[in-house]
Amino acid sequence: VIDAAFWLPLFVLLTSLVTALLIFALGEEQQRLRTTLNMAGATLKIALIAVITMGVLEGREYETRWSWLPGLDFVLRVDPISLLFAALSSLLWLLTTIYAIGYLEDSPHRSRFFGFFGLCVTATMGVALAGNLITFFIFYEMLTVATYPLVIHRATPRALAAGRTYLLYTLGGGTVLLAAVAWLQTVAGPVEFVSGGVLDEFAVSHRGPLVGVFVLLMIGLGVKAAIVPLHGWLPVAMVAPAPVSALLHAVAVVKAGAYGIVRVVYDLYGLELASALGVLTPLAVAASFTIVYGSIRALSEGELKRRLAYSTVSQLSYIVLGVAIFGPMATMGGLVHLMHQGFMKITLFFCAGNLAETLGIHHVREMRGVARRMPLTMGAFTIAAFGMMGVPPLAGFISKWHLGVGGVQADQPWVILVLAASSLLNAMYFLPIVLTAWFPADDTAWERPAGSLETHWMLLLPALATAAIVIGAGVFAAWPFSPLGMTRIIVERMYSP
Amino acid sequence: MIPAALLLVPMVPLLAAALLWSPGPLRRWGTALAPWTALPALMLALAAPLEEPVAVTWLLLGTFVGLDTAGRLFLVFTALVWTLAGAHARAYVKTHVHRYFFFHLLALSGNLGLVVAQDLASFYLFFALMTFSAYGLVVHDRTPDAYRAGRVYVVMSVVGETLLLAAFLLAAATAPTLALADIRAAAADAPEGPLLIALLLAGFGIKAGAVPLHMWLPLAHPVAPTPASAVLSGCMIKAGLLGWLRFLPLGEAALPGWGQLVIALGVGAAFFGVAVGVTQRNPKTVLAYSSVSQMGIINVAVGIGLSDPDAWRFALPAIPLYAMHHGLAKSALFLGVSAAGRGLRRVGLVLPALALAGAPLTSGAIAKLALKDAAAVAPGAWTVWLDVALPLAAVGTTLLMVRFLAVLPGDRAHVSRGVIVPWALAVAASTVALWIVPWWVDLGLTPLTAGRPAYLWTAVWPLMVGAAVAGLAVALRRRGALPAAPEIAPGDLLVPIERQWARIRRRPMADVPVAGIEGPPDPVASLASSWYGLFAESGPRDRLAQVEARLLRWESAAALTIALVVLLWLVTP
Repeated sequence: VIDAAFWLPLFVLLTSLVTALLIFALGEEQQRLRTTLNMAGATLKIALIAVITMGVLEGREYETRWSWLPGLDFVLRVDPISLLFAALSSLLWLLTTIYAIGYLEDSPHRSRFFGFFGLCVTATMGVALAGNLITFFIFYEMLTVATYPLVIHRATPRALAAGRTYLLYTLGGGTVLLAAVAWLQTVAGPVEFVSGGVLDEFAVSHRGPLVGVFVLLMIGLGVKAAIVPLHGWLPVAMVAPAPVSALLHAVAVVKAGAYGIVRVVYDLYGLELASALGVLTPLAVAASFTIVYGSIRALSEGELKRRLAYSTVSQLSYIVLGVAIFGPMATMGGLVHLMHQGFMKITLFFCAGNLAETLGIHHVREMRGVARRMPLTMGAFTIAAFGMMGVPPLAGFISKWHLGVGGVQADQPWVILVLAASSLLNAMYFLPIVLTAWFPADDTAWERPAGSLETHWMLLLPALATAAIVIGAGVFAAWPFSPLGMTRIIVERMYSP
Repeated sequence: MIPAALLLVPMVPLLAAALLWSPGPLRRWGTALAPWTALPALMLALAAPLEEPVAVTWLLLGTFVGLDTAGRLFLVFTALVWTLAGAHARAYVKTHVHRYFFFHLLALSGNLGLVVAQDLASFYLFFALMTFSAYGLVVHDRTPDAYRAGRVYVVMSVVGETLLLAAFLLAAATAPTLALADIRAAAADAPEGPLLIALLLAGFGIKAGAVPLHMWLPLAHPVAPTPASAVLSGCMIKAGLLGWLRFLPLGEAALPGWGQLVIALGVGAAFFGVAVGVTQRNPKTVLAYSSVSQMGIINVAVGIGLSDPDAWRFALPAIPLYAMHHGLAKSALFLGVSAAGRGLRRVGLVLPALALAGAPLTSGAIAKLALKDAAAVAPGAWTVWLDVALPLAAVGTTLLMVRFLAVLPGDRAHVSRGVIVPWALAVAASTVALWIVPWWVDLGLTPLTAGRPAYLWTAVWPLMVGAAVAGLAVALRRRGALPAAPEIAPGDLLVPIERQWARIRRRPMADVPVAGIEGPPDPVASLASSWYGLFAESGPRDRLAQVEARLLRWESAAALTIALVVLLWLVTP
């Protein structure tokens, strides 16, 4: 009999790791086998996550642990917060895999692509399930390295330059992170992630070092979370193929940073300690600045993917802002945005990829009347864009709502100003796209699709699925199993005395 | 049973809209059903008992639906006007019928939903649905004018939605639930009270066409296809009014300062709408300005209620009554623009015009009497002022109506029955509805409102004065003693604003290509360029991008980060 509590977290990683390694071993032309492996791995992972979720709801605990060096354990543990990120990543991995198969049809180096893709997902899962700081760090760096081949996949000079920028930023951030991990080790010894934090006993004796470590951690994580001024790599990395932009630069990589910040604040320091150290307000200010700055930069980007990238910069900091405000509503807003932003942004990237792949559209100015040619794609795009603007009943509204109410309840009503400004700016860079696509003066720019579907079904289906989730997550937010319902459970546990 | 039925009210149009996206025969079904999807709402509004807010816990953030007296009246005229407009559109809209009805149905769903919504989140949902889908109605004809109107509409609507988001967040932070009653109570003693009231007044004021936030209205209402104008002016602007009823702490808190401001702006709007409206040459623009003026008059009642909780009891009945009266009469007039003719068809247009001016025995007379009851409890010297201002506003309305009938093209050769019948029903509804309502719904009106002896004279003299002034003006014009009035450009205040905006844009970067949509003359492009004007496309001249590019070479990014951390260290106490 295998010990499920021990092995399941490891299996979650292995589903994608084994898939990746097998795919590396396959020949370029074994397309059917590769597709089967990919789909099997992704489906299996979702099934495992579902089983684990059920178990966690029944109060069971899952932990993989082995001692590595004295005082240095390798720990994978499932708790509600890690489930949130793991569920998001595994669901979107499946959808993105479908998308990528359709997208990369007949293009070279598919084995390499899907292999590293699987490694990235493995690393993301490791980040999600890491039970202590050192395990987190290992997978965080693995993610950096595994993503690099995907960024430079096309090997154009521009892609190579982008890859260089990407490595400089992320490895720099990783170095800072390692310094922080080491410093904390000297202060507090080995630390695990525990809800409510584990550093309280050092609050008085080591106040200075704790603040120092926090700042270094935020810098190290802030690179991936694209907090200004550490965001420079993200817009550049948009040269990567659409599936990479969709999963990695809208969800996995950037979320690894934001998720790390969540972990550090909630489960390493604890909200109360962080608040007492006075580090939350600067973090909130940095997040707010990033929110507004990213949106303003998005305005002047005419290239669709770059505009989306700056939008990501802005939206990621919603999560950070929610974390940096002390109060249950704000916490819910931040955590739920971890999921909501993923669904919305991946939809937008899927659609951008569809436009590029089907019609060769890369620039916003080429989109006039394109909804006539690709109504479903632009329908999904419109839903996600409205979600980003925070229009009810879509997912983005639910996030924004909790952040705003949380801000006022925490006696920080200026948050509303940030949210209102961001909504307005979001409208300013998304609405013109939507309007020009749907309401052109002449309907002749694009013809209706001749065949039955506007593009390959593998490109269309993921976008429609995530758009549906964007609607569902908002409309059924009060349902216990919605993203909001899940975060409510987390927050109730976190704030219960 | 009833809550489920109330949920169906906005769902029916949504389902029909979904049919329009389906293939083949289903799509034909959708088009056939589209005009009639407000009928369930109408039946419910007429037949269902009043319903306290009921929770639908699994929906959104926890939804409440219910039907109160004000909601019932709003639902009646909203459903009725949308149905008649839909029927009218069947014959009137010739091009892109699917597209028209798609946006018709979405906006209808929003408009109906916000009436039965009894919690903040779902109200906001339906309000936003209505606002954004109405854009499709405004620009349906795809003319340059339509795009300009649509652009102004979208910009102002987005600003309004943002103001409302801020207001809602402030109000909700201290409320125990999102039910409207709780929100109103929280708004009454929110710490940021004044800011909250200002946000609500401005946010909904944009929708309600309150001067000076009305600028989109005289542009958008005329360019839309006639049935869309009817629902825009008849129903959708009333959603702003209903928003005030739902969210302002009316009857809960005394806010005399705000109240008097609203009264003053309302009276100002009543005359402003007339002054600009009489110079217009397009009959639909005249009607749009009349809407601005009439909404000003209704807003007076809101201001009275806002000043004094005790006065609210008297002011409340006037609002749904007047809204219903105006909704029916104005939609009859708009639909009449495409059904105008001689003989009976001319009479049919005069009837709602008379009602709007408040002629005796019309629905307008009843609405105005209810308003008089409210004016009697106005704060301070306003009782006296309103006694003068309201009849004078009626004089103005008479002038506007004369102007409307004068600029309306005399005869149209072929007007199909499908256009005429819905219009005739609208005329009939606007004529009789308010005679039934006070006996059907207990509004708490002062007994015998309509039977007071002095009533005839108060209703008649503004009409006579208005007619006399109009007659005099026409006589003088004929003799050449009166110069032709210059037409004030529709959108009035907007014109100098647009000019200024164009100047700001042109100054720093005249020849820079604008990011976003451009190329051959596409009116939507100007929407983009007017927004992006300040942020030109990334290129050598985009300063922000340039600065960023320099700062974000990784060495400088690292240095910048260190500098920021040091700075934070220094400023943190």
